[in-house]
Amino acid sequence: MFLAHILQAHPEALPLNPIARWEWVFPIVESIHICGFALLVGSIVILDFRLLGICLRGQPVSRIAKELSPWIWAGLALQLTTGPYLFSGDPHEYVQIAAFRNKMLFFALALIFHFTVIRVATRPSDDSAPLGWRRPAAFVSLGLWFCVLLAGLWIGNL
Amino acid sequence: MSFVRFCQWLSETHFSHQLREAPYDFPVLIIIHIITIGLFGGMVVIGNLRVLGRALRSVPVSRVIGQFRPWKWTAFAILLVSGTLLAAADPMEYGFNIMFWISTALLLVAGVNALIFRFGVYRSVAEWENASEAPPAARRWAGVSLFLWIVLVFTGRAIAFF
Repeated sequence: MFLAHILQAHPEALPLNPIARWEWVFPIVESIHICGFALLVGSIVILDFRLLGICLRGQPVSRIAKELSPWIWAGLALQLTTGPYLFSGDPHEYVQIAAFRNKMLFFALALIFHFTVIRVATRPSDDSAPLGWRRPAAFVSLGLWFCVLLAGLWIGNL
Repeated sequence: MSFVRFCQWLSETHFSHQLREAPYDFPVLIIIHIITIGLFGGMVVIGNLRVLGRALRSVPVSRVIGQFRPWKWTAFAILLVSGTLLAAADPMEYGFNIMFWISTALLLVAGVNALIFRFGVYRSVAEWENASEAPPAARRWAGVSLFLWIVLVFTGRAIAFF
């Protein structure tokens, strides 16, 4: 991990990091991280539910995707700032936790899947076509995000 | 029976013991509780943002709210059962945790807020859902709801901290 190398190269900087200095910083940043999860994954779940045909059926898929997209990006921005910051509090520890490495793996897979397969599945040209292969694709997306959440919960040993 | 006695009695029941001591019951309940929040919390957020005119603008308000409703009720039922069991697993801990009670109170306020919206301004939704802006009352309730749920994440997380 690139970030881990940077942080490990300057062990003297760690005690200056607010998240390592004050015990109340972590739960606050973590709460923002949870809100970001609800925004990012909550929006994606709504889109996946639409692709499964169980939610917002009357509306074109591409339009739902387009209108949820700014919130997906906002959620992603929150996660990509709060996540690395939570990690910076104890980088040596996190890289050794299997659940953390699994979470990063599932997160990368879920993002790649979203911006490739789900992007293709929400093309405007397919709006009037039957859902077909897009149903199992939405199911895979839901499964990947479920794994991200589960691995994330496991980091804290529950 | 006083509240302290009640918590003591509950924590000594076989049921509470089992929830607390069994290796899987408590973690499984937490997983169910948080996964439900993760999967369906987004519907609360997007539903409120729709009323505020910030998300899914091409979909009529009543359709967004109506389509999310069964999912939100399902999630609410799961959260209520798993949350009650989690509290019952360790009443001496949660019963005297200030953040637990603040969260519970906020949850009630959020529920009342939703009912005021539902049986107030939402009853005339057909008249305003196609307008470019929802009436101020509707936007106010949606804003309050969004704010309450965000605060609830913080106080809910803080239960473990206090």
